[in-house]
Amino acid sequence: MANDREVLREIWEGRLPVCFQLNSEEVYSLQAPDAYYLMVPRLSYFPLVTDKVRKQFVRYIHPDKQEAEMWLDFNGQALKWHYPIGVLFDMYAADSQLPWNITVHFDKFPEEELLHCPCREAVESHFMSCVKEADVLKHRSQVVSSMQKKDHNQLWLGLQNDKFDQFWAVNRKLMEASGEEVFKYIPFRCYRGDGPFIQHLVRPVTEEGQRKTLQHLIQEVFPNETNLQIMTHGIEPPWETPLQWMSEHLSYPDNFLHLCIQTS
Amino acid sequence: MAWQWEVDWHLETTLDGLALDHDGWTYAVDFPATFHQKKQWKSCVRRRKWIRYRRYSAMNSWCAIAPLHKDPTQEPFIGVAVGGQSIPGGNPSNLLVWAITAHGRVMFRTGVSTTAPEGLRWTAIPVPSGCEVNQISVGPTGLVWAVLWNGRALVRAGVTRESPTGEFWLEVGAPEDLKLAHVSVGTNAVWAVTRDQRVWFRKGVRGESAGNSEELARGSGWVEMVGNMAVVSVAANDQVFAIGSEDRCLYFRTGVLPSELTGKQWRAIHAPTQLSRTSSNASLWSANYRHSLCGGTPREKRVRSWSSLARNSCSGDAQSLIRDWEETSRSAPTPTSLRLQPSLWQKSSDGASLTLQRPSHSEDSVSESSGAGQLEKRNEEDTQSSQSSNEMISTSAVIQEHSEGAVAEIQPVFLVGKGGEVKKNPTVWSPIRSVGSMVGMEAHPESDGSVFDPVSGDSGVFGEEEDAEAMYWADGDVAWCMVEAGACAVDPLCLPSWFVEAHVASEVELSKPWRVKILQELKRRLPEEGSGFEKYEKAVEMSSWVKTGKARCQLKDSNQQYEDCTLELEWVGSEKGSLDSGTLSILSPDKNHTKMQFSLSEITCVVCCSEPSKPRIAIHTPKLTKGSSPLKLQFSGDTDMEDWMANLTSVCCQMFGVHGPPSPGSIWITTGLGDVFVFDPAILEASQLSGEMYAQELDVAGKETPYEAHLHNGFPPGTILTIQGCVHDSCDRFSINLQCPSISQRHKNETDIILHFNPRFPESVTVRNSLLSGEWGAEEREGEMVFKQGSEFSINIYCEEDVFKIFVDGNLYTYYTHRQKPHRITHVGINGDVSLNKVIYQSKMVIVPPSDMFWRQMGGHLRRVEACSAGVTWGIGYDNTAWVYTGGWGGSFLKGLETSSSGINPMTDTRSYYVYENQRWNPLTGYTSHGLPTDRYMWSDVTGKHKRTREKTKLLSMHWQWVSDWSIDYHTPGGVDKEGWQYAIDFPATYHGQKHFTDYVRRRRWVRKAQLSTSGPWQELGSTKLVDVSLQMSSKVEIDSLVDVWAVAANGDALYRRGVSALCPAGTSWEHVPSDQTLASISCGPDRHVWAVGRSGSAFWRFGITPSNPIGEVWETVEPPTGKTLKQISVGCFAIWGLDSAGQLWVRREVTPVFPEGTHWQAIPTIASDMGNYDKISSSSSSSSQNNTIGFRHVSAGQVQAEIWAITATGVLCRRHGITPDNPAGTGWSHGIGVSDMLSQIHLPQ
Repeated sequence: MANDREVLREIWEGRLPVCFQLNSEEVYSLQAPDAYYLMVPRLSYFPLVTDKVRKQFVRYIHPDKQEAEMWLDFNGQALKWHYPIGVLFDMYAADSQLPWNITVHFDKFPEEELLHCPCREAVESHFMSCVKEADVLKHRSQVVSSMQKKDHNQLWLGLQNDKFDQFWAVNRKLMEASGEEVFKYIPFRCYRGDGPFIQHLVRPVTEEGQRKTLQHLIQEVFPNETNLQIMTHGIEPPWETPLQWMSEHLSYPDNFLHLCIQTS
Repeated sequence: MAWQWEVDWHLETTLDGLALDHDGWTYAVDFPATFHQKKQWKSCVRRRKWIRYRRYSAMNSWCAIAPLHKDPTQEPFIGVAVGGQSIPGGNPSNLLVWAITAHGRVMFRTGVSTTAPEGLRWTAIPVPSGCEVNQISVGPTGLVWAVLWNGRALVRAGVTRESPTGEFWLEVGAPEDLKLAHVSVGTNAVWAVTRDQRVWFRKGVRGESAGNSEELARGSGWVEMVGNMAVVSVAANDQVFAIGSEDRCLYFRTGVLPSELTGKQWRAIHAPTQLSRTSSNASLWSANYRHSLCGGTPREKRVRSWSSLARNSCSGDAQSLIRDWEETSRSAPTPTSLRLQPSLWQKSSDGASLTLQRPSHSEDSVSESSGAGQLEKRNEEDTQSSQSSNEMISTSAVIQEHSEGAVAEIQPVFLVGKGGEVKKNPTVWSPIRSVGSMVGMEAHPESDGSVFDPVSGDSGVFGEEEDAEAMYWADGDVAWCMVEAGACAVDPLCLPSWFVEAHVASEVELSKPWRVKILQELKRRLPEEGSGFEKYEKAVEMSSWVKTGKARCQLKDSNQQYEDCTLELEWVGSEKGSLDSGTLSILSPDKNHTKMQFSLSEITCVVCCSEPSKPRIAIHTPKLTKGSSPLKLQFSGDTDMEDWMANLTSVCCQMFGVHGPPSPGSIWITTGLGDVFVFDPAILEASQLSGEMYAQELDVAGKETPYEAHLHNGFPPGTILTIQGCVHDSCDRFSINLQCPSISQRHKNETDIILHFNPRFPESVTVRNSLLSGEWGAEEREGEMVFKQGSEFSINIYCEEDVFKIFVDGNLYTYYTHRQKPHRITHVGINGDVSLNKVIYQSKMVIVPPSDMFWRQMGGHLRRVEACSAGVTWGIGYDNTAWVYTGGWGGSFLKGLETSSSGINPMTDTRSYYVYENQRWNPLTGYTSHGLPTDRYMWSDVTGKHKRTREKTKLLSMHWQWVSDWSIDYHTPGGVDKEGWQYAIDFPATYHGQKHFTDYVRRRRWVRKAQLSTSGPWQELGSTKLVDVSLQMSSKVEIDSLVDVWAVAANGDALYRRGVSALCPAGTSWEHVPSDQTLASISCGPDRHVWAVGRSGSAFWRFGITPSNPIGEVWETVEPPTGKTLKQISVGCFAIWGLDSAGQLWVRREVTPVFPEGTHWQAIPTIASDMGNYDKISSSSSSSSQNNTIGFRHVSAGQVQAEIWAITATGVLCRRHGITPDNPAGTGWSHGIGVSDMLSQIHLPQ
């Protein structure tokens, strides 16, 4: 049971100050637009929070490009919209100064690097598929399939509207370890460098029935490596944190733990 | 002694509700005759009635039942079982106690009821020869199963309401070739354990029909259940508890539902126990113990949580519960030498060790729900004593149903105190002396001195109190050997946290270093103040969402058909919540055209108005749709409806900024469906307050003259009215009238105008005058003409003690001396060729226009709610359970949206569904179900107009569950015969229980009970059942001042609650207030006025209430209005308001400090039935007696503004206006929300 409300609330309240700047090459008007400052939730996705940014900058670009899809980069690194914002920050910008300076593009969409995001519904379907995948790992998909459409809707609206209670009213069910004490597998994704994320099947308890910790997970996923640094939600969770607790409390809204791995 | 005198002998001074003279004599012609209050010439005999109250004082203590023989060891009892609290059609206060003796005899205790739990005497029930009974169990429906020494079972057949001991025994074999060891009977379930510890379920048993069917009493076969158990016990709701055969742990069977009585699996109950360290069997009990414990200790919580478990098992009749609150602080004479190891048991000094088989009586220990992480151990003494300390009433319930027990530990043998100690301390319990109490009838102190100690005349009941410190909590391994769950009502869908150890673990987690570190780091993620980031725009600032769905709607007329539509609820909210706006659109199914669209701020109430299998919501928008019924939406299913209900409620609350608990001055209403709504004037107050006055801008937009508006607070001195407008060029004259409600007399409307302000341009004069009783007075014409055609004006009218001060364009224009009291003014009227820009009404009190009141649903299911200005609020459910408001809001109706985080408790309520079976007599076949063609349906509702059948009766929503089968109701008002029939000459008529020669029709009522499971911000208050309650702040001085709470118990007794205050809203204990009459309604008002209404229809007021004696001395009878019977009463600031059974309102006049009983009743006219329109002025003519008027359902008087609100018989909320100290009856009504049958009760804070 995810019942440590203080931690959950703190995770939910995670915000990042972001400074959006239009790519100078794309400025069409005489005067370059001012930077746009925005406080974005770590748990959200960029397409959900950048409507205002688009509105702000679209006046300054070439009229032909005004219908084009907006995309973002940081230090030349295109930002994947389907990763939670907090994950992107921890991956690429954890060491940089706040605010996080992001460049806004309307031109030259990096087709190889990014998926297209035609609309919010695309984010929703991606989000829901993550939730379902996580539930498959945790409960063999029993919880999510017993939910009604409106529960799914509430989950999504809660995230989109930044409503903690609305979201957790439904997410609570997903975070319950029904029947047994623990999840079947811990849904997590490890990000390291530019490659795709790494996912393994890791149980929250050892075969002897003892609670596994973050340390166990790291050893199972990266058996031969030392000096790894784990970052999630902008913090380095202690290695002795129990996995089950981590999954219940430190998962992103998509029900996955997103761990950014760095070699120190 | 089990019984104690309560007061001295006194005379009854009333007869049928009429006062007798002080000697109390009644007169008649001769003795067996009807007695009358008046002496006549033919009165030859007289009689009077002496009354003395007694109360059962052995509550919460063990009271020994006399043994069968002089020598208790001759034939000791070896088993006892209690049940029968819900025999079909029976009186729920009667209980059945069966016992078995060491000789294998079966004994039945006659006369056991909640009011006399000890019963009268033992009656031996013969068993078939060769059968020796080993163990016995009786279910709530009276079904008895017994286990024989030979391993077979006996079932008692024919147990019915009329024959509670049954008719004969049926023998039932054991499963396979095994031998039964133990059997337990529930309502529809019988569970047994065989000697090889296997568990068996008896299928096919139906307790409710078992009295009439051998087949349903004995069931059809054994089914083996997984698991090995030593003992099994079935609760009244068929939940099953057991003790494991190996581990001796307590188990609970999960998943037992009416549809699946066998359940799913056994789960061990985490059952810590509190053990007593006190080993002295002469330890003292303290009578003041309960006082020392009043202050919300953990025990109290535990007790509450326990009492909520026992809820269902406590029978409806609270009579006995009330009788006894005072002496109950003694706990049971429990085995103080309680040991876990039998080897430690002592023998008494004289060597004559008495061992008795004890009925099981301790309940299981529910670990505290608040989950402090501490596992607790307790034993029966603790529970009982803390029960008695804090909740007298539920305590007594515990005792009554004690041997049904709760989940229990039994002391199979217990030991008796030493004889020597007994002599020294007369309060020490001893069975030898206890048998001498009044309890046992087989042995009498007078006749049988050898058994009784003469010194111990009053020592029948003894208790012993453990000191709080003398307890310790142990978590040791207790090997249970007995469980008894008969009094334990566990809701299988909402189990207590008996099995969960997770929260304990999380408590530990809170202090783990990794958690601390994570939390610290999370909090440190963003730099502190000064970084400038807090000025950044929020990404998710405006949250808007659209909710769409399909429904069927009824837009205007309530006769209109429901038509398909699409709903769209759009809501835009800012993070601060202040700029919320929202729209509800009702579109055609294809969304092509809009049927209706309005802003959510127009909504004043969203209320469920479902009918069975028609889930509906009514949305009240009184300002938009003047005079028409609310918008009604019908949904395809309960879930859909509740989803919309939750969303609409939640959005509207945010819209109006209504959060948190309501302020103490709030007005509460309940609907006919049991939903609870509250109006909080504090919100209006904040928005209206300007300076020291409350201002309301009257709505003039788009309105033309003649203009009329309601002045909701009247026009008492201090009121200001500001009118800004423009005189048209063509204007000849215009007028501003401060007027009274119109009076329709002889087909013409007459309106008294208190102030007529009338500028006339041709004459260039401004006339002031009054129109009283149709006659204009002398005109006042002084002063210059200050108005100009075609120019703007501003008029201010100040009402002062003697005059109206009138300002025009900011300058004092004139004074107008009051010709009549300005209090009568209710409306402002503006006539003539002017346009209005602004009309501002300012009053010293908050202005509450009924049509602007936003009613917010609070959660819970209640029949009544009563509040007082100290912020203490109580409610009464349909099953007469009392609830105390916790300060939370929300509950299951909100589905997790915007619900308060604490104070939401599960609630249940029970309601009865009735169907009438009608029959007509014909000469050939007698009564048959073939009526005349013109007759009513042979199965109908009470009116006979609607067809109702048992099979087609549906529950209101998915949250209701049937908890009984259809059965004949033997308690139908009017009396019934043996088969439940009531007879009458014809339909519809008055029915009587005896068949007469002329009776051609008969009917009987079938009843089926349904139970609702919900949750809401209410805490159950013990098990005393109440029919009415009234709260009043005793004094306004202290911060946490005491609140007087008067209640009427289900049996018609008056009760006074001690220790109620804002900090302790539940109070501590009930005090019984004797009354000769059974009461129906009670109300306490300012200045310690307490009034009650008896079931006979007369009123009473309580004489002698002083601060030191809040209970008062005696009830004084006040005769009801001639020929009327009152049914409800409410004490207001200036008068007492009564409601009679015909729905007519009455005001008690001339109530003064000297004559608090007043002098006469003044009738308040009923209001015209076309008064659906909001804000229309009603007639106040006292002569109106037209047929098209409607009466009232409920009335409530408030203290804050001396206001009176009532609910009409059609469910419309009305407020009485024009109430002044001189005219406490007021002048007329204005209307708020309401639809047919919607509202049922209102309560204003006292």
